[in-house]
Amino acid sequence: MRIDTRLLLIALLFVSVLPISGQNRQDFYNIDAELKVSGGIEEIFMESRYAGSAPFLIVTVKDNQTGRRYVIEIGPAWFFEYDVHKGENITVVGSLRQPRGELPLLIARKVTLRGETRIMRDKYGFPAWRGGRGRGRGWRRGRRG
Amino acid sequence: MKRTRLLLFFILPFFGVVLVFMVLSSLDRRYNRLRIEELAGEQLRATAEILSVNISHLLGENFSAEEIFDLYAGEENIYYIALLDENKEILAWLSQFEGYLPLSLESDIGKDAWILESPAGRIYNVFVSLRDIGGREYFLYLGYSLNYLEAVVRHSRNSFWVILGLILITGLCVFGGFYQLQKKYLDKEKEAEEQKKQKERFREISAFTSGVAHEIKNPLNSLSLLFELLRKQAPGELTEDIMLGKKEVQKIAGIIDQFSDSLKPINLQRERFQLEEAAGEAWEALLRNRVEKSVRLKMDVKEAVEMFADRRLMVQVFSNLLQNALEATGEGEIRMTAESRKRMVFIEVRDYGSGISNRDAPRIFDPFFSAKKQGMGIGLYLTKKIIEAHGGEISFSSRPGRGTCFRITIPGE
Repeated sequence: MRIDTRLLLIALLFVSVLPISGQNRQDFYNIDAELKVSGGIEEIFMESRYAGSAPFLIVTVKDNQTGRRYVIEIGPAWFFEYDVHKGENITVVGSLRQPRGELPLLIARKVTLRGETRIMRDKYGFPAWRGGRGRGRGWRRGRRG
Repeated sequence: MKRTRLLLFFILPFFGVVLVFMVLSSLDRRYNRLRIEELAGEQLRATAEILSVNISHLLGENFSAEEIFDLYAGEENIYYIALLDENKEILAWLSQFEGYLPLSLESDIGKDAWILESPAGRIYNVFVSLRDIGGREYFLYLGYSLNYLEAVVRHSRNSFWVILGLILITGLCVFGGFYQLQKKYLDKEKEAEEQKKQKERFREISAFTSGVAHEIKNPLNSLSLLFELLRKQAPGELTEDIMLGKKEVQKIAGIIDQFSDSLKPINLQRERFQLEEAAGEAWEALLRNRVEKSVRLKMDVKEAVEMFADRRLMVQVFSNLLQNALEATGEGEIRMTAESRKRMVFIEVRDYGSGISNRDAPRIFDPFFSAKKQGMGIGLYLTKKIIEAHGGEISFSSRPGRGTCFRITIPGE
């Protein structure tokens, strides 16, 4: 399901100015800490995660099994291409980051929504939207996660 | 060499050479790749060592990890870099790709560099330890682009395909040429074999015919003499019949002479003469034996054409061609043109008669072949033989019902 371009632009205008507490930290994809989370979407945000990159689609999800809440960094909205709604079930395989005093962050590698699966990164965390052979290279800073 | 042998002899070794080239080239590229990777690894380790020393120094001067990495941001060949503390907790990192830092502390990380395949290309990874001035241990993780190596390998691969393409094209051209030559050679050989067989057959026929002609002519001569004796001694009222008999015998002898002449090798007695005169002589001789004279000969000779040839034989050639034209033409005209150009004489004899059928056309110069009921099949054969003996050529074009044109090209000197 494709996002309506006009709706996406309006959403970008709003969410880009929203201060999202605890979601402004830039993390790397830790291949040693993969986790699968499956649950209902509680919140949907857009956030500029990496300098020089388009805003990322962020959702908070409550895991059906553990009841824990996670902030999930899905990826650039233009790349994800699916419309997401609150209350929808989503399954994410990703790398878990555990910021102190905040909700745990999951950087998505594989997202399953409405029975369709979208690969966001390869198994080493290379972002799928970056294509190959150094396309769109530029430095992205990270800090201790 | 037969075509299948040509394939086996040339094509297979060629593809063998191509295969050897491919294998050697592949091994060479593999060796070069390994060697370059080795050199790149050494270079990366050296780079990591230098970075380690610099970072140790900067840490000793109380620079933060972020401040240190600011100094390295923008380095094209470093895909990612991370600084870890003594517990291998990441203090700071930089990556050219969002969140991409493929460091697994759970896997074995040794001093050796390792290569990681990524959509951005092959990345050389190195993980080294360093100490600051205070002796505190840190770790540096570095991912170095091997794209320049990939470019070298790609260039080598492209060169390989270009060279292979050139070899294949050249090979195909050469073997195509060989094949054509071989085909021509085989066709010629086949043709020569056919000619040889024909000659042998003709020689046998000639020997047989000469023998028969010789055996027939002796009794014919006796018969002719006998008719002469009879004419002298027989009553006057029988003279005419006896003369008719003698004439028929002489006619048979003439036919046999013609046969014999056609089988003998031609011995040319060249002399200078005017073509028009010789042709006229042939035409007059033909007309003498014809009752009806409704066909006329139109000679079209622009200038006096002088020939240097065997006059008697050339008269025979003209006679044969004009006789054929005459027989094919009920009434009307026969055209004969001649001209001399560049030491060659070009002659055309054209009639507007019945023409030659497509079925007969390929065989009209064959000995003993005739499309006419009363023909012996010697005239055109002999004509061709005489023209070729003079170093010339004869050809014809014909359309059934529209007439025939014979063309002779013969050296004028």
